[in-house]
Amino acid sequence: MSLTVEQTKERNQALIKEVLDVYPDKTAKRRAKHLGTFEEGKSDCGVKSNVKSIPGVMTIRGCAYAGSKGVVWGPIKDMIHISHGPVGCGQYSWASRRNYYIGTTGIDTFVTMQFTSDFQEKDIVFGGDKKLEKIIDEIQDLFPLNHGITVQSECPIGLIGDDIEAVSKKKSKEYDGKTIVPVRCEGFRGVSQSLGHHIANDSIRDWVFDKAGDKHPEFKSTPYDVAIIGDYNIGGDAWSSRILLEEMGLRVIAQWSGDGSLAELENTPKAKLNVLHCYRSMNYISRHLEEKYGVPWVEYNFFGPTKIAESLRTIASYFDDKIKEGAERVIAKYQPLMQAVIDKYRPRLEGKKVMLFVGGLRPRHVIGAYEDLGMEIVGTGYEFGHNDDYQRTTHYVKDGTLIYDDVTGYEFEKFVEAIQPDLVGSGIKEKYVFQKMGVPFRQMHSWDYSGPYHGYDGFAIFARDMDMAINNPVWGLTKTPWKKAV
Amino acid sequence: MSQNAEKVLDHFNLFREPEYVELFENKKKEFEFAESADKVEQVKEWAKTWEYREKNFKREALTVNPAKACQPLGAVFAAVGFEGTIPFVHGSQGCVAYYRSHFSRHFKEPSSCVSSSMTEDAAVFGGLSNMVDGLANTYNLYKPKMISVSTTCMAEVIGDDLNAFIKTAKEKGSIPQDFNVPFAHTPAFVGSHVTGYDNVMKGILWHFWDGKAGTEAPLTRVPNESINFIGGFDGYTVGNLREIKRIFEAFSVDYTILGDNSDVWDTPCDGEFRMYDGGTTLEATANALNAKATISMQEYCTEKTLPFIAEHGQETVAFNHPIGVAATDQFLMEISRLTGKPIPEALEKERGRLVDAIADSTAHIHGQKFAIYGDPDLCLGLAGFLLELGAEPTHVLATNGNKAWAAKVQELFDSSPFGKNCHVYAGKDLWHMRSLLFTEPVDFLIGNTYGKYLERDTGTPLIRIGFPIFDRHHHHRYPVWGYQGAMNVLVWILDKIFDEIDKNTIVPAKTDYSFDIIR
Amino acid sequence: MSDLRQIAFYGKGGIGKSTTSQNTLAALAEMGQRILIVGCDPKADSTRLILHAKAQDTILSLAAAAGSVEDLEIEDVMKVGYRDIKCVESGGPEPGVGCAGRGVITSINFLEEEGAYEDIDYVSYDVLGDVVCGGFAMPIRENKAQEIYIVMSGEMMAMYAANNISKGILKYANSGGVRLGGLVCNERQTDKELELAEALAGKLGTQLIHFVPRDNIVQHAELRRMTVMEYAPDSKQADEYRQLARKIHANAGKGIIPTPITMDELEDLLMAHGIMKQIDESQVGKTASELAA
Repeated sequence: MSLTVEQTKERNQALIKEVLDVYPDKTAKRRAKHLGTFEEGKSDCGVKSNVKSIPGVMTIRGCAYAGSKGVVWGPIKDMIHISHGPVGCGQYSWASRRNYYIGTTGIDTFVTMQFTSDFQEKDIVFGGDKKLEKIIDEIQDLFPLNHGITVQSECPIGLIGDDIEAVSKKKSKEYDGKTIVPVRCEGFRGVSQSLGHHIANDSIRDWVFDKAGDKHPEFKSTPYDVAIIGDYNIGGDAWSSRILLEEMGLRVIAQWSGDGSLAELENTPKAKLNVLHCYRSMNYISRHLEEKYGVPWVEYNFFGPTKIAESLRTIASYFDDKIKEGAERVIAKYQPLMQAVIDKYRPRLEGKKVMLFVGGLRPRHVIGAYEDLGMEIVGTGYEFGHNDDYQRTTHYVKDGTLIYDDVTGYEFEKFVEAIQPDLVGSGIKEKYVFQKMGVPFRQMHSWDYSGPYHGYDGFAIFARDMDMAINNPVWGLTKTPWKKAV
Repeated sequence: MSQNAEKVLDHFNLFREPEYVELFENKKKEFEFAESADKVEQVKEWAKTWEYREKNFKREALTVNPAKACQPLGAVFAAVGFEGTIPFVHGSQGCVAYYRSHFSRHFKEPSSCVSSSMTEDAAVFGGLSNMVDGLANTYNLYKPKMISVSTTCMAEVIGDDLNAFIKTAKEKGSIPQDFNVPFAHTPAFVGSHVTGYDNVMKGILWHFWDGKAGTEAPLTRVPNESINFIGGFDGYTVGNLREIKRIFEAFSVDYTILGDNSDVWDTPCDGEFRMYDGGTTLEATANALNAKATISMQEYCTEKTLPFIAEHGQETVAFNHPIGVAATDQFLMEISRLTGKPIPEALEKERGRLVDAIADSTAHIHGQKFAIYGDPDLCLGLAGFLLELGAEPTHVLATNGNKAWAAKVQELFDSSPFGKNCHVYAGKDLWHMRSLLFTEPVDFLIGNTYGKYLERDTGTPLIRIGFPIFDRHHHHRYPVWGYQGAMNVLVWILDKIFDEIDKNTIVPAKTDYSFDIIR
Repeated sequence: MSDLRQIAFYGKGGIGKSTTSQNTLAALAEMGQRILIVGCDPKADSTRLILHAKAQDTILSLAAAAGSVEDLEIEDVMKVGYRDIKCVESGGPEPGVGCAGRGVITSINFLEEEGAYEDIDYVSYDVLGDVVCGGFAMPIRENKAQEIYIVMSGEMMAMYAANNISKGILKYANSGGVRLGGLVCNERQTDKELELAEALAGKLGTQLIHFVPRDNIVQHAELRRMTVMEYAPDSKQADEYRQLARKIHANAGKGIIPTPITMDELEDLLMAHGIMKQIDESQVGKTASELAA
């Protein structure tokens, strides 16, 4: 039944060829560069990435607006994020990412609301700058406790040449230096969400850090101050991470950006270390904070006990013995819980094969958690990864793993059909395709409305969820008993 | 540590544990530089006042929590109602990711749709090559019977010409010359998702009836006795269209449902993924020209389609998402009038059962005040039913409603004594609704999933009817049309009313004297 | 609808396109044709000579005031001028903001939906400058203008623009039905102007449909916001426009698919007629003082 590594590689090659055969020649040539098999010892996964998606193939990718409004800026809770342009973008992304936060929505926090300039034809033809000015006035009037405003550009803004920077500056001056951030994240820019992350990071650099001065001089630093960077608090992920950092003696002064506030962004240069979870979406600002403010940064991984322990020790290595002891204390404290979780679920999940296709960090970061449960990743790929992501992936995947970058609907379906994994982890658009095929599935963007999956508390939920997906009795019902398999 | 392996705590319990509550408090106090509790309380109370409401209604530029989506969404909805059809959206790719997610979250089904993935260079040079390559790829990969092309705002702003592009793509061999590629321009900055539905429906009929974009001779109408039916953009399309088919079959009428997406959004889980399932056949779509008449269930979803059909010589009839006894009566009487066939006895009996159910329960609904929001036609349908039940549709709001719609709603109010104190709000959003619910409270709110924020903030219990419904499962499988459909709506309303009474009487030794076993 | 002639005037800015088109259309009206002019220039000056007005209310400005185009009636935007010529101006944003091209699309869609093209013989689109973006190509899409008349002169940039517009037409000619009706040369009294214009027409595969001589009477008429046809119907210049109108009227269905030329070919053409000298490569990029040294 199980293949040797060499057999697997051969099978992958045949499978890739079979898939490419269906494409027109020009497309086949381009797609061929994005499909491959990981070879042990290589410095990356051997696939090309971060280039334009091909028209008409059903890419899973989104756009720059999704990367900025949907991912980076959207969760900053005490600011109002205007989806600037036609109504749709803001509507489809309204509260659909589970960036949990604490606050009185509509009064002092605004994450699960949809603020839009609802562009009409006349705004396109005559330009929308005057409307934007009025919108900012109306926001100030109706939502007086907002701490700042961002302008998230949709496609038309860049096409008609609106000057949102000038409007932002003017209004900021009018409202006593209020933080108003124009973000040029029009959906046609770049090739995926990824450029939107970068643009959003840069807008924080240019319109929050560079403008702020020290807005909070009363803030007192300590030697143990860290900032969580690149955790969007999906289902509470950042909270189940924060608790561990605090328990080991660190002080988390900012969360980027899940359950985050403007003040936390502003105070981040005062951190002693930035701990970076989603490298893809926030490496830019981490590098900037290091260059400009001398704050070092370190990547970590809070999925599954093995990686959590490793990461806690790595983070602690930047601090003194008190913190190092703290890390050990935390690891020891949760060890019995982790053992209990593994004892309960590993026997049910041992040897199960998983195929992943997700965004930012998860195509590699979650692998350790699956392995803690005895499961095996047989294929993985990034929606919008770059080559540095594929390099980092080499530390996680095994020889012979199938790699697919910016997979198309067609390819993914064929791969799963041929490989028949026990679980597929991907997004909402993929979920029902594979469930119809009778393959257990978990959404790995939204945690399928569950979570948190980060930290020790999260791992218990993760293990339970994978078990309930794979060992669900429903998968025994998909075939009609009166139709015998041929 | 509260988490444990035996009984795993989910997010909704985990974060209530003391260690997390403390964490939240500390984070807020030390790092968020949040507004003081007093100030928050003060603004929260102010936002409930008439003063705030007046300010809120003075808004001219800002939209907050709108109850509408953009044209391209409706375009995709209409396209997948045709056999083997894949929607091809010309413009930025992120839009398509959004439409697919949106539909999958509502129907809990796959949603297949492709994009021409236009990027910065296409913004400058136009998207012709994206169309040429895209059509070839889609055709080869997904083996559709038809590709329905629509646009995003990007392609519309730069002014791409779909007709010319598709012809060029065919000349370049992307797809066979005779392959069906109907198209519609669907700018996101005009109208809403119901407009996009209309444009694509008209575009597809224009394609088949009027000579396939100038490549063939237009069809000549040879009138027959059949009836066309168009459902419009409808979150209940799965249940509704099946109910409509049942009704037509009870009549023994020849009918064609144009845009039948009841199967593609309700595919079985049996080991096979069906990218396409069911749908109006292309042949039937062409033949629909010959029908005697076309019935649109939603006037505001077919504002261009119906006149187009009428120009071709058919009688057209438009309803406003009819729900309830009288509305269904009218629908059936129109079918009967158009076809000359009597209303089947079985349906008459269903009518009697619905009236019976209303008679049994009306005491609980009579005089209750409701706020409704949704698409223009759905609002009219629901308001009509509530009036019929003796309830008051106090606030009726459609973000994508226009003046003509508002006048129509007012006319409906004027037709019933229960409509006396009711008001209609066209072009307003759910933040306006919030002010209405605070200043002029009602007993129940009817709306889509986003209404839960209004329920939380104003305490008005939400009855989920509309689109999208993300947080309750499977309601789209139930019809709301026909007498059976009205029965479903009645039951949903009643369930909420009874649940609320129970919730309000459940405190032992305080209110539970009214915690009745029989209601 | 099938008898409806849809034509469009394109040309470099400042070439006298609006003047030529309005005079020609006035002459067509004199012949008994029922005319609708659709101005597709944000400056909204395509109908001033017909209406004797500085500027009329444009579709887009009225739509912006009313909320959206759906709130407009055709009567709000259509004015009637000299010899019952119907006039609408699309209008558009001020320079530097918004998207004028989208404005053209909006306006033409509105006119079609509102039945503006009923009971007329000619629709004439007067389009700004070059085909700068997709929006300005709207009038040459399928089922819109069938013949394009390019107004040009013997100046290099006008000829360059004429060639560019031909490229735009070529793009839509195969899939739609648009054709180049011909060039109209508006005399600038440059060297060998007629010869050059005919040569360019030849290269593009079309005809120089008329050479309109320069006459100050045009300016006199314009000062009074009138066409020459109205101001001085008996003048020689009025006869020129009558000739042009007759030629256009007789030109139905005779348009061609243009064969635009490359920049090099265009330069060769100018050189062949002695307008441009062979470029001395050693002089390229040199300032006057450098050359003097």
